[in-house]
Amino acid sequence: MKHLVAEFDAIRARFPSGFDSSLVVPFLRRIQEDRGYVADSDIDALVDYLRVPRIQIEEVLSYYTQFRRKPIGRWHVQACRNVSCSLLGADRIVDHLTQKLRIRPGETTGDGRFTLSTVECLASCGTAPVVMINETCHECVTPQKLDALLETLT
Amino acid sequence: MPRIFINGQPIDAEPQHTVMEAARANGIVIPYFCWHPQLSIAGSCRICAIQIEDRSWVEIACNMPVSEGLRVLTDSDQVKTYRKSIMQLMTLNHPVDCGICDKAGECTLQDYHYLYNGAPSLSRDVKVRSTKFHPLSERIVLDNERCILCSRCVRFTREISKSNALGIIQRGDASLVRAAEDRPLDADPYSDNVIDICPVGALLSRSFLYQSRVWYLQPTPSICPGCARGCTVNIWHRKAEWKLNALDPAKNVRIERVTPLENPSVNGPWICNKGRDLKQILERPRAEHAMQKGGVVDLATAIRSARRLIDHAAHPVALVSNWGSNEELAAFSQALGARFTTFVKHDWAAQPGEPIEDDLLIRADKNPNTLAARALFPTVDDGGTLDGATDLVLVWGEGFDFERVPRGAAIIFLNAYVQPENGHADVFIPVSIQTERRGHYTNFQGTVGAFEPCFPKKPSIADAEALFASLAISEVEPA
Amino acid sequence: MSNSKLLMTFPVSATSHTLVEYRERGGYATLEKVLRQMTPTQVSAEITASGIQGRGGAAFPMGRKWGVVHLNDGQPHYLCANADEGEPGTFKDRWILENAPHLLVESMVIAAYALQVRNAFVYIRGEFDLPYRRLAAAVDEAYQAGYLGARILGTDVSCDLVIYRGAGSYVCGEASALLTSIEGRKPYPRNRPPRLTVRGLYQRPTVVNNVETLANIVGIVANGAQAFRAVGTAKNPGTRLISISGHISRPGVYEIEVGYPWSKFIHEDCGGVSGGRQLKAVIPGGISTKVLTAAEIEPLHLDNQEVEAAGSSLGSGGMIVIAEGTCMVRLLQVMLRFYHHESCGQCTPCREGMGWLHRIIDRVVAGDGRPEDIERLYQISAWNDGTTICGMGDAAGYATSGVLNKFRDEFEYFIDNKRSRLHGNLECLASS
Repeated sequence: MKHLVAEFDAIRARFPSGFDSSLVVPFLRRIQEDRGYVADSDIDALVDYLRVPRIQIEEVLSYYTQFRRKPIGRWHVQACRNVSCSLLGADRIVDHLTQKLRIRPGETTGDGRFTLSTVECLASCGTAPVVMINETCHECVTPQKLDALLETLT
Repeated sequence: MPRIFINGQPIDAEPQHTVMEAARANGIVIPYFCWHPQLSIAGSCRICAIQIEDRSWVEIACNMPVSEGLRVLTDSDQVKTYRKSIMQLMTLNHPVDCGICDKAGECTLQDYHYLYNGAPSLSRDVKVRSTKFHPLSERIVLDNERCILCSRCVRFTREISKSNALGIIQRGDASLVRAAEDRPLDADPYSDNVIDICPVGALLSRSFLYQSRVWYLQPTPSICPGCARGCTVNIWHRKAEWKLNALDPAKNVRIERVTPLENPSVNGPWICNKGRDLKQILERPRAEHAMQKGGVVDLATAIRSARRLIDHAAHPVALVSNWGSNEELAAFSQALGARFTTFVKHDWAAQPGEPIEDDLLIRADKNPNTLAARALFPTVDDGGTLDGATDLVLVWGEGFDFERVPRGAAIIFLNAYVQPENGHADVFIPVSIQTERRGHYTNFQGTVGAFEPCFPKKPSIADAEALFASLAISEVEPA
Repeated sequence: MSNSKLLMTFPVSATSHTLVEYRERGGYATLEKVLRQMTPTQVSAEITASGIQGRGGAAFPMGRKWGVVHLNDGQPHYLCANADEGEPGTFKDRWILENAPHLLVESMVIAAYALQVRNAFVYIRGEFDLPYRRLAAAVDEAYQAGYLGARILGTDVSCDLVIYRGAGSYVCGEASALLTSIEGRKPYPRNRPPRLTVRGLYQRPTVVNNVETLANIVGIVANGAQAFRAVGTAKNPGTRLISISGHISRPGVYEIEVGYPWSKFIHEDCGGVSGGRQLKAVIPGGISTKVLTAAEIEPLHLDNQEVEAAGSSLGSGGMIVIAEGTCMVRLLQVMLRFYHHESCGQCTPCREGMGWLHRIIDRVVAGDGRPEDIERLYQISAWNDGTTICGMGDAAGYATSGVLNKFRDEFEYFIDNKRSRLHGNLECLASS
């Protein structure tokens, strides 16, 4: 986390004084962007930097779905399974991805390329079914479009 | 003072109170799990829900401010039905371990189940399983299946002990109470209070685990001698009618556990872990027989020998124990105070690793009665060389370095515990400890607290209070 | 019936979100007018007179919420836009964030002025990427142009805006949990009292408003409360952004005047049910609102008064269209899986109840349902109605009882026959 401190100082300056506790979430996001997950040493470093109780960071990490404490595949394939996506074939998409990648939701391919997850509503219901891969939301997906897309992700 | 009405009864409430507090102050019972008078309001268990008259819904009482004219019902049909539903939901995934759970007999969930529901579960689905026997710390074991997530333990470590050791990770019905991963709960000297405030058998003391069913035990009020705070405690031991002579008679006279005895002016509802571990202090091997230079004698013989030593001493010095009770210290002063040059000895100092002092309960003075001792005997033993002319040293209690005794001086040693020095004294007399008699200590604030006896004293052991009067009797034949 | 637009008043292009084009449309002129010619009290009065209701789901009048904040009480106040948009079926705030971010920024600076707020926040859900980048770019542009920061437009009014990204939690859409999230702690909702407008972010008075509600501020202040009231209905003035999805031919975000005929909206504006199928049911405003049958919505208008009288709510405007042949039991299963996943776990009825609801519906769908399951679903819903810390327990109850009320026969069939009477999948494809 040390190399991010300059960035952290800049972010902290944008918040009112007394808001150090607020920095936990944006800093964890940045740490995860950088490392791919949040390591125990990152938690220690963040406790030192922000002076918040360690348990607060542990709670936050365990509660939010987007944080992880272990590495995952290079490409996180997140398929929405909520109502509108289900009405437009999300089950079929998840089945297809399971077969195509040969892993079940929650698992990572042996070569470390893909991790498959099912997620809740991504607020893109009008272009269902929706699959988010890393930061990008892919709309109106079909098995064919997904196959073509996955090819490009090395 | 806002006037509110609970079940039609008019009550003058404190303006800053909640309905929960106003009810309790007037002897009206509203059930609760997550609420605690010393902790912030969580308002999460929902069982304290009551009904404002003329409203068709229920609301929690623990977060309801009093207001002039407020009218509430704590036992309407709607409230009763709602309570049953909360009990139904709370026990939905509860393992019902009562048969093997230490909390049975003092468990709020059990009590409320009988008071407010008594109905079998409506669920026909599998219960959610979770971690059992999770080592929350070296001292505390956690069963997450029994846990009702009331968050009292979390709030205690955040607000009272301030160790921030505990939290609840994950979410929903997968939520888990956990200690922070760098193990601050081990370092929290107040950690075991969470065991008391846990309403169920989720947080349990390892040292008490499976030792006894609580209904075989009775609490005796006492004072923790661990420091000058003098927290009032309950010492739990086996009830006389549940004696276990056949299995192990030693179990009938041992300290099973120590819990706080609530005391608003001294320790509130808390004690530190040292108080929990009193058996480590009070159940060390006891000296049971009087001795002269290591040879066992009967008590009467020892007393007569001691009297003769006192009669013939020209410069007798006494080091009195600041673990002596008010009564014992007064008896010494009355009987022997004129005869001896008396110093107050600090029996115990802080042990390595022991917390010294904090702004909660722990005091640096690790002795229970220094204030009373010093009131009677102004001079404190500074650990320096004793006057070379001293020809008799009377040592009462622990913590004295016998190297300091001038050569040729006689030693009378009064002590409760086995110690090598017992055998070197000219006269050694074993004395009783606080669990064997009634008495009082004065804490650092001047508050006097009482302790009661819970165990019988062996006849070969003397009570210091009577002993001092006895020692003052001269053996010299009147001319 | 006319259909005035207040927000979607310009064609969307690759650059219509930029400051340059926003200003070409008259952007930031209202902020200038406010700072130079109006007092904070005058701004608030205009908002109150407009009668605008919250568009996040609770429909609480914005003016009344603002009115609780005591100005000049010597402590910091905060303003926060709720851009968490987690209610399934809802994606209309996203339209504003992607296409009209400056409308939100300008509205927020005006609101900050009215509420004496020095520090404002936009809480945006962590999963939003393009909406976040567009908003962040707009905030940067606004700072550079002097619409944010110290001494805005040369006045002595200053306002800083921080975008706070969430990390995946539906409950953060609830205002008190949202603020606890901004505090960097696990986002448990809070009991009231105290209201957030009394003790909110770091225990200071805080106003939390939905993105769409806030975005209306520029128009209300620019054109006056009466002009706003001329649109929509008396009790519910203005327009609503409706996100429509599901079995509909032309899904998307539409702006309708409150009171617009519902059937016309579905069958004409949105192209009718996809695949030429019959309409079976509509979830009006996010899955936390009770489903209505095709027959029920037929005579209704898109006006919360009418929808509430019909036993549901326009909620967050997340409308989901369901075609004939859809198995409502499986649909409820998807919803209960969601609520179970999102329960924060704090209070007993929701924590235990969501799991129980989910386990029951899973069992029914697996063919192992029992007759008493229907009553149990109703009962758990009732136990969560109005008795939880936040509205999520209630929401799951509404979703459940709503579906059961209208489609009980499907559940009875599933329990008796251990399978759905209808298509095996929610897409209603002919196969399987």
